[in-house]
Amino acid sequence: MTGQELLPRNALVWIIISQFALLAPHLARLPVWVILVYLVAACWRTMVHQGRWSYPRRWTKLGLILAGFGAIVASYGNLLGLEPMVALLLTAFALKLLELVQRKDAYVLLFLGYFICVTSFLFSQDIVLVLYSLFTVVLVTTALVALHQPGENRFRPGTIRLPATMLAQAFPLMLVLFFLFPRIGPLWTVPVKSHAAKTGVSDFMKPGDISSLSQSGEMAFTVQFEGPIPAQSALYWRGLVFSVLEEGAWRSLRRSEIPAAETRPSIPDKADETPLAYSVLMTPTRQNWLYSLRYAESSQSGLLSTADFRLFTPVEIEDQFRYRARSWLAAPLDIQLSSWRRRAELALPEGENPRSVQLARDMRATSNSDAEFVDAVLGWFNRESFVYTLQPPLLGQNPMDQFLFQTRRGFCEHYAYAFVLMMRAAGVPARVIAGYQGGEVNPVNRTVIVRQFDAHAWAEVWLPGQGWVRVDPTGAVAPERIEFGLEQALVTEGSFLANSPLSLLRYRGVGWVNMLRLRYEALTYRWQSWVVGFNSEQQYQLLEDLFGSIRARNFVILFLVSGILVLVPVAWLLLGRRQQRRANATQQCYLDFCTLLARRGLSRDPGEAPASFAHRVALGNPALAGWAQQFTRDFNHLAYAHDGLAAGEYRRLLAALRAQLRQIP
Amino acid sequence: MEIQAAIEGAITQVGRVLLGKDAQVRLALCCLFARGHLLIEDLPGMGKTTLSHALADVLGLSCKRVQFTSDLLPADILGVSVYDRNHGNFSFHPGPIFTQVLLADEINRTTPRTQSALLEAMAEGQVTIEGETRLLPQPFFVIATQNPIHQAGTYPLPESQLDRFLMRLQLGYPDPRAERQMFVDRHSGSGAPTSLPRCIEPRQLAAIRSGVAEVNTSDNLLDYLQRLVARSRQGGEFAVGLSPRGALALLECARTWAFMAGRNHVVPEDLQAVLPAVAGHRLIPSGDYADDGQALVALLQRTVDVIRP
Repeated sequence: MTGQELLPRNALVWIIISQFALLAPHLARLPVWVILVYLVAACWRTMVHQGRWSYPRRWTKLGLILAGFGAIVASYGNLLGLEPMVALLLTAFALKLLELVQRKDAYVLLFLGYFICVTSFLFSQDIVLVLYSLFTVVLVTTALVALHQPGENRFRPGTIRLPATMLAQAFPLMLVLFFLFPRIGPLWTVPVKSHAAKTGVSDFMKPGDISSLSQSGEMAFTVQFEGPIPAQSALYWRGLVFSVLEEGAWRSLRRSEIPAAETRPSIPDKADETPLAYSVLMTPTRQNWLYSLRYAESSQSGLLSTADFRLFTPVEIEDQFRYRARSWLAAPLDIQLSSWRRRAELALPEGENPRSVQLARDMRATSNSDAEFVDAVLGWFNRESFVYTLQPPLLGQNPMDQFLFQTRRGFCEHYAYAFVLMMRAAGVPARVIAGYQGGEVNPVNRTVIVRQFDAHAWAEVWLPGQGWVRVDPTGAVAPERIEFGLEQALVTEGSFLANSPLSLLRYRGVGWVNMLRLRYEALTYRWQSWVVGFNSEQQYQLLEDLFGSIRARNFVILFLVSGILVLVPVAWLLLGRRQQRRANATQQCYLDFCTLLARRGLSRDPGEAPASFAHRVALGNPALAGWAQQFTRDFNHLAYAHDGLAAGEYRRLLAALRAQLRQIP
Repeated sequence: MEIQAAIEGAITQVGRVLLGKDAQVRLALCCLFARGHLLIEDLPGMGKTTLSHALADVLGLSCKRVQFTSDLLPADILGVSVYDRNHGNFSFHPGPIFTQVLLADEINRTTPRTQSALLEAMAEGQVTIEGETRLLPQPFFVIATQNPIHQAGTYPLPESQLDRFLMRLQLGYPDPRAERQMFVDRHSGSGAPTSLPRCIEPRQLAAIRSGVAEVNTSDNLLDYLQRLVARSRQGGEFAVGLSPRGALALLECARTWAFMAGRNHVVPEDLQAVLPAVAGHRLIPSGDYADDGQALVALLQRTVDVIRP
């Protein structure tokens, strides 16, 4: 092993730095011992470099590998799945440091480093992470550069300058490729099923579900309206319709429970209303329902409507998803109610919550109409001492009896539950709607940000002549929830985001913090829609905006032009060195000659010139003398006698030279 | 081809007085054809002076010899103005430097002052005495000999002056067969001739110049040259690598060498043939390699691949 092959100290330090930098974004997902592995490996390798310890022996290495596997199985329960696989890769990445002897080992390690850099995108595509990944790419490249500076025996921070420049130079090309180069679907994909929990509103509702969701400030979706933004109190984002009360929990009708005739929505009359048009950018929920204002239609392919006027996708939303919809807020829904639907929306389990049922029947008896009855119940909620709280007490048997007559402390789902129960008990078709209410308007880019704590449950009742009408019993108890959002509703209780003291959302009162947050969110929105969500469809849209209508012919032209845009500079660089390429072709031919002879035991020393070599060949193997000398003469002639031969002449001579190679005796 | 035959003739003639040193003779001729000055370095009694004389003879050039000693002054080489009583004025008496071939024997025995007087003449082709510049005859060659530096009583030439010599040759001991021949010749009295016939006419000398100018150096060859030069500058073995002037000298000698071999293009062997003589005295070994330049050149040549790797 020559000194050249040993790793310079500078390179080793950069390798270790980039390893830790690559580990950092995964820290939250990894068991603690992985960090320990990194520290131990780095220390060990440093000791080896200083000559105090030696490289691990074969058996030690085998032991470490098995221990790594074992620890991962122990930590995650199995090896399959994204997170254990990434953990395995990261552990191997750390241990590989102990095998770092020569430059070629470092190549393996660093190229693996580029791959690991990409793995963090499996978990998040946040703008901060992308910037950080660019930084790690620079670090890994710096280690590669340092590897090629022999004799750098102390750490040089300045090494980073060259890779940073290189990345900066590559940036415009990257942008062109990203935005303009035609996107062809992947030829193969790995099914990436992560074990991340489903987020957002779930498909059944028990009292307490939504209040737990309200502890989170995470973003659910962002909406961009094409026109003006409607008032906060009009923003009821319908996600799920719960029609079945079963074992104390509300759930949707199952597909199998709906007769075939009832699966299609009846299109309402919406002639005299201009619709609200908007697009929604959803964070992945791993559910398949979408959120929209009431009565929504979408012309986007892959979106379906249900009989209870919801939108959904046949597949679960695993990635960020954008859809466009139009809503008619005043359109009457289901003016005629089918008898099956009426039965379904009136069903109640027998014998539960008897006091509530009795109360409802009494109140209906004193009202003249269903509409009057609705008002009476809302009025009753308003008059009695009900409290809107994030910390409702737990409820036992007959929960609504307990809630309405004893505790009287509840969150939106309690009120919606109780209200629908009372409606159904009195023979008014009603159902619980779950989704989000309100949202924060970001003045920076005029979007509405809807967060998990905006989750809400309300009710719809069917009134003759009006169809389904939205009734929000929470509004009767805590009107500020509807007008100003959750934070205002809970201002006296102080429980808003009580579990996340660091959330910027808690500091909305501080002007500049709030502005900073809103700007960051506007940037995120742009990032999510332009970079993360940039797919072939959006590219098509962009190209259309840039170049007018896109027909197949234009698309092909664009394909070619963007290809040429990338290839021409490369070609220019390569063709510009034609002379050099010639030199390479000639010399390559000579190297082939040397390979042929090396197989016969005659190898050329690096410093040996062709004629001297031919002379030695003639001495070593007289049978080859004539052939080798003739070839060498012709090679010398081609390589050294002329410059600027005509291309045809050059090709002819080179071909003749190559032909000689085959005539080796 | 007529010229090449003449050159071969010259080499044969010199070979009559300096037995078994054909390679060095060829290099020395190459140096002179490339219009360079020649430094011959070896121990006393190795045939340095013999070679110098023989070269002057076969080229048919006027030749003077100066034995450098520690008390030699510049005026002893360049000449002096002496008062002429008959004419009542000073008349210039040219020194031995006014010749075509100057044999400067044991140049490192004299003081730096005298050395530099000679070296100015070598670089400029002219001397300035008492404010008057006088051109030297053309062509003008200096063939200097010197003893190895570590011998007593020598003033080593500084690097800048060594650089003025195109080549430095070492003769070395003759091989046993040649040495035996020498003994036999001396004994039988048939001995070496005292003077050699002219082999190369002045017009041929000019033809060699113009012929060398037409020798082609291809990109591949320049590549190789550059790799050699770069290696000499970057490797740890050399404190000082080849200067651009050194590289140019190398190229010029290689062309002359190619021409002498009757080729109109330079091949790597040409560079390698002249490399030790041209580069040996220009490379300074770094501390770790307290070795002489020749060995380093061999190392340089071994480590740089002729074919682009």
